[in-house]
This record gives sequence, C-alpha cells and structure tokens, in this order.
Amino acid sequence: MNAVSETPRNLVPRLILAGVGLLFGGGLGYLVGRLIKSGALDASRFGWSDSLATLIAASLVVIGLIIGLASFSRKAVGRMIDSSGTHVATPAQASFYMQQAIVIFLAGVLMAAPVVTAASFEVIPMVVASIVMLVILAIFLVQTVYNLVVWRRSDELLRRVTSETGAVCFWVLQGLLFLWAAAEKLELAPKLTAWDIMTVLMGTYLVVASIMSARRGLS
Amino acid sequence: MKNRLKVLRAERDWSQADLADRLEVSRQTVNAIETGKYDPSLPLAFKIGRLFEQPIETIFDDEAA
Repeated sequence: MNAVSETPRNLVPRLILAGVGLLFGGGLGYLVGRLIKSGALDASRFGWSDSLATLIAASLVVIGLIIGLASFSRKAVGRMIDSSGTHVATPAQASFYMQQAIVIFLAGVLMAAPVVTAASFEVIPMVVASIVMLVILAIFLVQTVYNLVVWRRSDELLRRVTSETGAVCFWVLQGLLFLWAAAEKLELAPKLTAWDIMTVLMGTYLVVASIMSARRGLS
Repeated sequence: MKNRLKVLRAERDWSQADLADRLEVSRQTVNAIETGKYDPSLPLAFKIGRLFEQPIETIFDDEAA
C-alpha cells in the first residue's frame, strides 16, 4: 500500500470531521452571537483573557463533542486509531475515547462558566456566584476523576507526551511568570489577574501538547 | 534508536493495529517506535522481544543512534 492510494480514503473521514467541526463551531458561534445581540451576554466586559478563554473553551467543547459522538461508533473510533478504515475498535478502546472526550468537554465547560457568568451580570449576585462556584467545583471533581482514569488507562507513549508537556510548560511558564512578576514589581508591566495567568497557562499547555504530540508521532 | 520492528511485523503480515493489540499499546505507539520518534520503555522492549522470540539487541540497535 503506498501513500497515493491511502490519500482518498484518509480524505473522506477528515472531510466529515471538518464538516462536523464546522457545524458545531458555527452553531456555537451563532448562539454566542445571538446572546450578545440580545443583551444576555455583555461582550464589552470581556477582557483579552476572557476572549482567549472563550475561544479555548469553545474549541474544547466542540472537540469533546465530536470525539464523544464518534466514540459511540466502534468503526469511527477504529478510523481514528487506524485511518486505513479496516480496524474496528474494541469496546474498551471506544470507552477510552469517550473518557477522553468527557475530560476535554468538561475542561471547556469549566473555562467557559466563570466568563459566561461574569458577562451575564452587571454585578454578580452572591447567591449566583456561590451556586456557579459550587457547580464548577463539582464538575472539577468529576473531571479530575476522569483525568486520573484516562491517565491510568493510557499507554506509555501517551503518558510520556503528557509528562513532557507538563515539564516544558513548567519551565517555560515559571520563567515567564518570574520575568513578568519582576517587571510588575518594578512597575514596568501591567498587573495580571489570576484569570489572565490561568488562561495563558491553558493556552500554552494546549499549544505545547500539540507540538509534543506531533513530535512523538501521536497526532 | 533504529529497530527492525517494521520488518518483523511485515514478516508476520501484521498491521500496526494487530501488533499494538498484541503489545497492549496504541497503534500510534507502534508507529512512533517504528519511525524512531519514540524509544520504548525497557518493559515494553522485553515484551516486544518475547513476542517475536528474539533478544532485544537483535531488534533494537542503540549504536545507530
């Protein structure tokens, strides 16, 4: 089998995936647009980190939904594992993809919740803030459990990529954080909020994870 | 590190997914080892050696690194 004969077969699932992504992404964009237009969401209160967090959250939700829906079909999971299309995934492989989808989807929900809540109120009532925080805590706990399950079920390559991503992120971000903190202390740089730092951390993590995955041939 | 995994797999007419199932790893892991993007852990290298009934040093060549 050569690369030329593989191309048309690989193209179809990729086009389907792109179409589904377009559908979900477009739908989500339309929904947010309608909410902003109706005044339910006040985009003028969005800082740069809120916009970045919303973009990351939307991407995570869409990717999580796509993988989650695909994992209902063992054939679709088989295609994700082996693009030749001859492989049908085992139930264990399908459930692993579902668990990964849950982790990704919930990460998106967690990132979106504070931004959407803050943008929905002029001043957030204490009761609403407390309820949202409790929901965030509950989702965080569930996501942590699924994260641990995915880690336990991962093979050594996936664990290596995860570890390398964590290590690179730590060294890059601790250096940047130190330099920014020093500049901030010297009143040379504007102050950052915890949300700003968390958003940069998450964005960096996703970029580094993509690079590490490609480097190890995982993507 | 160079290895003969692809040759050994081809001799048995196994796909990457077949070998991955036998080694209880993902297909991507088999592909990453074959393409030299990832060196397996010692336990996995032993598992590969046992599966192909060959010593590790006949499958993996560290001097080519």
